[in-house]
Amino acid sequence: MSRSAWATHIAVTVAALGAAPTAASAADFDWKRFQGKTVTFLANNNPVAQALLTNKADFEKLTGITLKVDGYQEQQMRQRLVTVMNARSDEVDVFMTLPSREGEQFAAAGWYGDLSAMAKNQAAKEYDFAGLSQALLKAGTFGGKLTSMPMNIEGPILYYRTDILAKCGVEKPATIKDVEAAAQKIKACDAAITPFVSRGLKPAVAYTFSNMLHNMGGSYMANGKSNLCSPRGKEALDTYSRLLRDYGPPGVVNYSFQQISALYRSGRAAMSFESSNELRTVMEGGERLKDTGLMPFPAGEAGLVPTAIGWGMAVSAFSKQQDAAWYFVQWATSPEIQKRMAVQGIAPPRPAVANDPEYRKWIDEQPVRKQWQAALDLLATKGSSEVGYPIVANPESREFIGQAVQDLILKQKTLDQACADADKGLDALIAQK
Amino acid sequence: MVDAANTVTPDRQRVELAALSAPAVLFTLAMIAFPLAYTVWLGFHAFSSTGRQSFTGLGNYSKLIADTEFWHGLWVTLALYLLSLVLQLVLGIWLAMLLFNAKRLPGIVRSLFISPFMMPPVVAGLMWLVILDPSLGAANYILQAAGLPPSDWLASPIWVIPTIALIDTWQWAPYVALIVLGGLQSLPASVYEAAQIDGASAFTTFRRITLPLLLPTIVTAVILRSVDLLRFFDIIYITTQGGPGNASNTLNIYGFRVGFEFFNIGYASALMLTLTVIVFGVVLAFNRLRGAVAW
Repeated sequence: MSRSAWATHIAVTVAALGAAPTAASAADFDWKRFQGKTVTFLANNNPVAQALLTNKADFEKLTGITLKVDGYQEQQMRQRLVTVMNARSDEVDVFMTLPSREGEQFAAAGWYGDLSAMAKNQAAKEYDFAGLSQALLKAGTFGGKLTSMPMNIEGPILYYRTDILAKCGVEKPATIKDVEAAAQKIKACDAAITPFVSRGLKPAVAYTFSNMLHNMGGSYMANGKSNLCSPRGKEALDTYSRLLRDYGPPGVVNYSFQQISALYRSGRAAMSFESSNELRTVMEGGERLKDTGLMPFPAGEAGLVPTAIGWGMAVSAFSKQQDAAWYFVQWATSPEIQKRMAVQGIAPPRPAVANDPEYRKWIDEQPVRKQWQAALDLLATKGSSEVGYPIVANPESREFIGQAVQDLILKQKTLDQACADADKGLDALIAQK
Repeated sequence: MVDAANTVTPDRQRVELAALSAPAVLFTLAMIAFPLAYTVWLGFHAFSSTGRQSFTGLGNYSKLIADTEFWHGLWVTLALYLLSLVLQLVLGIWLAMLLFNAKRLPGIVRSLFISPFMMPPVVAGLMWLVILDPSLGAANYILQAAGLPPSDWLASPIWVIPTIALIDTWQWAPYVALIVLGGLQSLPASVYEAAQIDGASAFTTFRRITLPLLLPTIVTAVILRSVDLLRFFDIIYITTQGGPGNASNTLNIYGFRVGFEFFNIGYASALMLTLTVIVFGVVLAFNRLRGAVAW
């Protein structure tokens, strides 16, 4: 072994030891330590939180902590969070967060409690910190501080109708060019079917567009500047908007996951590029179970660079009981609870849970679940969590991406104008401190 | 003989009245004055993307003047306001006349006429989102069944404002009708009898008598709808979130997004205060008009 390899080996071992709870602390762990306390959890009322909260009574029984759940839809949850955090209020102890979207911003604002020490010193023996997806832990680490623990793993994947592809003599697409060729054939073969659908709603576009951009070898930034007008950026903008304009449903500029899943589930779309989280919704009623195939979005010039993100649980920096709050976070992201959530269709951010026999049995029940898990395995290993610009003002950056795509779908600007306008606005955002 | 000790002097009465009404006044001040003052204070501060705040004086307001998105939002707000208001007045007055003249209309039919405004805007928004979906919605199905081309409705930058105005009109024209119906029922019968004796036609009676006498009621309806329409938010947020592009990005939607999605609370406060001033200005103008047309 070379000197540098030895050095790396030692560094990794030390880091792993540092991250794992010490034997003494794990052995001394007492789940009842905060008995009688009340922890307030600001939750996004999505399938992830819903699956978690079916086990709420078990947490309260195990710890003696009362869990007060303050649940809202995603946007309303953020609205409440901004109000609470701007007031530096201790009303919320734990909140759900998307590190890929707001991580930089919340971390810079000092809203996240630092979980590094708690994960190291106050973890139960069975917690298995090292078993969590390292990519997602990294995505939740800002300035060396661990700010959230991953609850799930998700990303956009391609849902396609095997029967329609067969009827129209189309092979399963292997590249982005194949997607467009397939859409063209399907359009000619069956006019009643929408060949391709994905997100067109302005703030939602970045989630799916990022995957295409990365697969094509593009990047959002280069040399500290916005890079949408680079050849790869322009190609991605052009291809994404052309797919939606020429082969998408009418009104696609208002399409987000609800409309996409409804269209695909109703049998009126041949290919749908949408979140892996939508599997349960898409399969509701069972009509799509037998005629759907799933795969990561096909490769571009840079191969497969899928988008992989996950919801995280963070402890508020203003909570007056961060230790008790950490107990809830720890319980909610433990292998046992993530296993229970997994069989409810929430993809686990722990490779070990993904290999658990009970979970594998659930996966093996239906071929579509096997393909879903295979796509998620790829997301976990090759995924990029860059959705929109890797800057503090990430949510605002998504507006510019969405605007450029909509301008092209609606033919309101040329490709050069759309990307130049977006780059101009984005450069101003990047320059903001 | 009057007991002097029990006599309530005007001064004492004033003190008692002040003491009794003080809690309500204080409560009102706390609920209105404090949020308003806090918003004014926020409007004088700049918030960075990371939540750091600093005093900026009129900085947010000078930024607003140079902000093309603000001017676009103002234009969208006014266009939507005027279109919706005109539609709601015309349909509301027509509906009120219909209900007033159809005295034998069963109660259930009357209730159905006025039911849309009792529906929560969120439910109404979601319902119309489904109806107007270009692929799956009933609206295009009906158009196509009638041999007409389908429309993109809320997804078209050209049609989105008229479509939202139509949804709001569907919901709130009955409310205008209810106000106007109240006004119609209070009009003096003698004027109509005189017109009838003079041989005035139905149209002349409406134009020369009903409409002028109804003006104070109509202006009241205009004031109530103006406040709502200028602050229009819920249905737009549910159906388009300001899109497509920024075609339906009203000032209220823009302010909300700046504040709660981009976390710039200071600039959002400046935007919302500007909108508040516009609303107050419109209400004051119509209030004066109401005074002028009172009879």
